Amino acid sequence: MAKPRIIDADVHNAIAQPKDLLPYLPRAWHSYWLSAGPAYGGGWVSPISVLRKDAKTDDGGMPGSDPHYMLKHHFEKYGIDYGILTGSGILGISVNPNPDYANVLASAYNDWLIETWMKASPVYKGSILINHSDPQAAAKEIDRMAKHKDMVQVIMCSASRMLYGQRFFHPIYEAAERNGLPVAFHPGTEGRGISGPPTPSGYPTSYFEWHNILPINYMAHVNSLVCEGVFEKFPKLKVVAIEGGIAWLPHLMWRMDKNYKGLRDQVPWLKRLPSEYILEHIRLTTQPIEEPRNSEHLNQILDMVDAGRTVMFSSDYPHWDFDNPRMALAPIRKDLRSRILADNAMELYGLQDVPDSSPLATESSEGGVRP
Amino acid sequence: MSSPTARYPVCKVEDLKSEGRIITTVKGVEVGIFSVGDRYYAWRNMCPHGAAPVCEGVVCGTRLPSLVYEYKYGREQEILRCPWHGWEFDLTTGRHLVDQDVKLRGYPVEVAEGQLYLVM
Repeated sequence: MAKPRIIDADVHNAIAQPKDLLPYLPRAWHSYWLSAGPAYGGGWVSPISVLRKDAKTDDGGMPGSDPHYMLKHHFEKYGIDYGILTGSGILGISVNPNPDYANVLASAYNDWLIETWMKASPVYKGSILINHSDPQAAAKEIDRMAKHKDMVQVIMCSASRMLYGQRFFHPIYEAAERNGLPVAFHPGTEGRGISGPPTPSGYPTSYFEWHNILPINYMAHVNSLVCEGVFEKFPKLKVVAIEGGIAWLPHLMWRMDKNYKGLRDQVPWLKRLPSEYILEHIRLTTQPIEEPRNSEHLNQILDMVDAGRTVMFSSDYPHWDFDNPRMALAPIRKDLRSRILADNAMELYGLQDVPDSSPLATESSEGGVRP
Repeated sequence: MSSPTARYPVCKVEDLKSEGRIITTVKGVEVGIFSVGDRYYAWRNMCPHGAAPVCEGVVCGTRLPSLVYEYKYGREQEILRCPWHGWEFDLTTGRHLVDQDVKLRGYPVEVAEGQLYLVM
């Protein structure tokens, strides 16, 4: 079998129509779902929409809503061997005020994902959606779904009432570790529902301003995960910080290491420098990759975060800030590029061989036709 | 050429015990003298990190390595915390608790008939 060349760590599969979820949702919640949707409110309007204008399905459906169209339009076009599906329009259920509703929505979405996407093609790998505001229920959902071999990680929104290192969330990490799955978080609902404001000083004015500053929430969560000893308590746990950027990480690591030398006694359970926990346990995705004027600066940053083991390619298909794997990684040094395009995700998600449906799988020799 | 070493009287054991620590100048170098139990240590009064007067810092214990959310206090009076950035030094070895490569400069101390001498 050939090894994957490109694994896309952030692909958004959408629910074509709200009614599609009804077969998986308890009857008691049907009217709520049909009238309110995921209902976490607020948000900032993008002047160019969040969805790519060219990604509508053949019959005019919502971008990302048709697994067969997505195969053609995204996977085959760019030679992507696997895509980690991260959902769309439903990730923020954790910040809906009603945890019972969020719990049933998570389960309904996961069952729908298996039936609709996992069965459509082996290139699709699923993320188990959880409601992080009810960690005990989330842990049960992880145990329930982890037996599906195509579910390769746990996912929750990065917006939250509380920082992710805090013990409230530990049942989630315990369940993920027990099942050998990484826990991913994804941005987009910061400042919505019952989450805190997206900056400590309140609400940005525009979508532009909001989007620029999303990484501060990632800094806060990563800092919290390390300081609260999550990686001492769950030494096999990996956390994937999706779509949160990369260039802030050296700053955070250095600041944490420096402060650790003076303030260690507040975190006596840490046995190593904070940066060592980060590089061992945190994984980042590329999109939206930072685009400095001097591309060598990006390579330097990638070296600072040991990108050869920590960074995975992602496209964010079909969202407006999509990164084309052939263009977006061009400034990156060759030795790092293959690690980022496939190897790091192969190792994290255990995707050693290309799937059966891939053209590479049936080729007689390694290498082949695709760029 | 370095000058030959010699013994310099710095204080009486009794005074050190009552004052907790003594900072004195020997051959133009500021040195802090500390007692930990029945042993004596002398460290140069300069933090290798930011050149703070480290010997003026708090002498204390600290939280020992523990499990997550456990708090175990120990090493009472064996830790010197730099007054500027709070770096913790092991008074018995001079080493920083986190970064073993960072070390205070120390001098041998000798005791004779209730008198402490610094060897420099």
